[in-house]
Amino acid sequence: MRFRHRRTAAAAALAAAAALGLSACLAALGEEQSLVDATSLTVGVKADQPGLGLDDGSGNIEGFDVDVALYIAARLGVPAEEVEFVGLTSAEREDKLISGEVDMVVATYSITPARKTQVTFGGPYYVAKQDVLVRAEDTDVRGVRDLEGRSVCQGEGSYSAVRITEGLGIDVQTMEAPSYSACIDALREGDVDAVSTDNLILAGFLAEEPSAFRLVNNPFTDEKYGVGLPHGDVRACEAVNKAISEMYQDGTARDLLQTWFGETGLQVVTSVPQFEGCD
Amino acid sequence: MARIRGRLGTTPARVWLLASLCVVTVVGLLGASTSALNQARDGLHVLGRDAGPQAMATTQLYLALADMDAHTADVLLMGTDHDMGSGREEALRGYEASRTRANEALLQASSLTEGDTVEELNVQAVLDGMGVYEQLATEARLLNDEAEAPPGRVDGAALDSYRRATRLMHTELLPKAFNLGLDSSAIVRANHEEGQSAVALGLVWVGAFGAAAVAALVALQLYLRVRFRRRFNAPLLAATAGTLLLVAGAVTALVSSGGHQRDAKEEGLDAAMALSRAGAIATDMQADESRYLLDRDLADNYQQVYLERAQQVLYRPARNLESYYEAVDGVVAAYPVLPGSDGSDPEDPGTLGYLGQDAQDALLPGQEDALAEVLESYSALQDQDRALRAAVEEGDLSGAVDIRMGVADSEDGAFESYEAALADLTELHEGAFAEGIRRGDAVLAPWTWLLPAVAALLLALVVLGVRPRLAEYR
Repeated sequence: MRFRHRRTAAAAALAAAAALGLSACLAALGEEQSLVDATSLTVGVKADQPGLGLDDGSGNIEGFDVDVALYIAARLGVPAEEVEFVGLTSAEREDKLISGEVDMVVATYSITPARKTQVTFGGPYYVAKQDVLVRAEDTDVRGVRDLEGRSVCQGEGSYSAVRITEGLGIDVQTMEAPSYSACIDALREGDVDAVSTDNLILAGFLAEEPSAFRLVNNPFTDEKYGVGLPHGDVRACEAVNKAISEMYQDGTARDLLQTWFGETGLQVVTSVPQFEGCD
Repeated sequence: MARIRGRLGTTPARVWLLASLCVVTVVGLLGASTSALNQARDGLHVLGRDAGPQAMATTQLYLALADMDAHTADVLLMGTDHDMGSGREEALRGYEASRTRANEALLQASSLTEGDTVEELNVQAVLDGMGVYEQLATEARLLNDEAEAPPGRVDGAALDSYRRATRLMHTELLPKAFNLGLDSSAIVRANHEEGQSAVALGLVWVGAFGAAAVAALVALQLYLRVRFRRRFNAPLLAATAGTLLLVAGAVTALVSSGGHQRDAKEEGLDAAMALSRAGAIATDMQADESRYLLDRDLADNYQQVYLERAQQVLYRPARNLESYYEAVDGVVAAYPVLPGSDGSDPEDPGTLGYLGQDAQDALLPGQEDALAEVLESYSALQDQDRALRAAVEEGDLSGAVDIRMGVADSEDGAFESYEAALADLTELHEGAFAEGIRRGDAVLAPWTWLLPAVAALLLALVVLGVRPRLAEYR
């Protein structure tokens, strides 16, 4: 990340103050460094999530999250050519943001109270919901309760099946796979009956093989996808929220959802989500 | 040119020059202090009279809208039994009252957001959406009345309309209303920070002119001492001491008023607004009980969002409601110690959410007791919820509806008690807000006359100091 320096007047005053030895006043005068002054950004995204952030094999990552990040960057005054994308796994998101290796994380990053103690979240830019994906020919499953007695796959480190067993008290057999793409393979092969996670993630897989699977479209939780920012960067958080409002008002959000998930029959929400707040 | 240099070479000319320098720097000090004090006063007034109260008003919008949807759900759930809880008439009155408050809050919001396109569009969207919502809600009520639906068994067509209404409320209206409230908080923060840095810059100028004035006075003093062989010049010494006192006094006043302003914002306004959000989200949360009962197809979803909203209000790690109820009991039992806050368990981030945050920042006198009341009433609300869901599990829908209407009772329901306790706590913070503004103002007030008076005195002392010396040359 590079910064631009717009407050020359303030800087001059600072220099004058330093010369006068009134350094105690400096802390109050100089605003903290914020992403809103950046001229380039490194953004962490997923690289293995079709529709959201997927490496196309040549190191180029594309998807809904990538496009959202580009829109926000543009509103922060950073042109697309100054935005660098880095693929992150779920476990890496906090660490890379805290260490400063990435400036911003837009990677199906759910806002949770625990994470909010380490990360400031702009947004959410979309509220995904947990849903169920089954094989196309499996027409019996109309809701999550119909999974009673069946097997459900969850990606390693994910709690999605726990939400069904513990959260809703439904008796399903849980199978764990290294990733959700492995779950999708298992579903295609008939090794499991269903895959359950955020509907945007499921829709991304479905868009790749629309005839193989079916999205149940009966969601039961809210997953608030936030824009992860360095902890305490309130100015950036407010600017990101404003950008997200504009993204919905000018129709970009609708277009992007249509582009990436339009073919899947996913019921998308095209009005601005309720923000989390920046403090 | 040579003449000027020649003139400056004489002793009276040098005394004149140094004395003028003293006058200019003292006047500069007066100017810098006046401007910094005015900045500080403006900052206090913007926070105390304009932006602060307006921001509070905007956060009311969410509450009013959530309350409208809560009453709509309650009326549908009651069906033909108009005397459940505090009764259908009371629920309809509550709906009307909230509608009026929502309209007022929207008016406030539209004046606050003037000139900000993004927020203006949001206000307009909420206004338009409210009209559509009201149509759908009325339609649902009429259909349910026509069908003479018994309590807890909402008519299918009525439910259809209500689903559209509440979906509109939760995807379009409430998010925008909440974001408007956040935006007005952002305006307050930006104003406050701008004001604080303007005052800080003012402090630098006060210090600079103060230092210059002292330097000029000391230079004059030293010159007179060398030139006129006097040990010291008493008026000039007094002027030097007075300048130092003036700078110290002005800086102290500015710093302390800034401190009061920060307290007013952080312990007062920010906390009060966070609690008003805690009230608004809880309003929507308790209405999820009605929605859970009247829409059995989406019951799982309503149960889940109930838990999510509850965790926004008071967060403890819990994957289902049963463990959440227990965790809330644990918080009440341990308070004022907050479970999980010692960081011993890496899986447990502590007691968070709006109420948890207020508990962590508890500083005001009486805040601990008031918060204890809030936590107890919140826990009682969760106890009712537990009983309600247990009744549903046992297949006792009418028992569950009874419990629900008891919770929503506007006289002595569990939610009413929670709201009352929360209002007491919020009042404490609002009091701290008013008090911080008042104290900040009180610190600045005497300087309105003190500043020019002291500056005049300093100038008089300079004149007194140099006049007898200049007279020697007449």
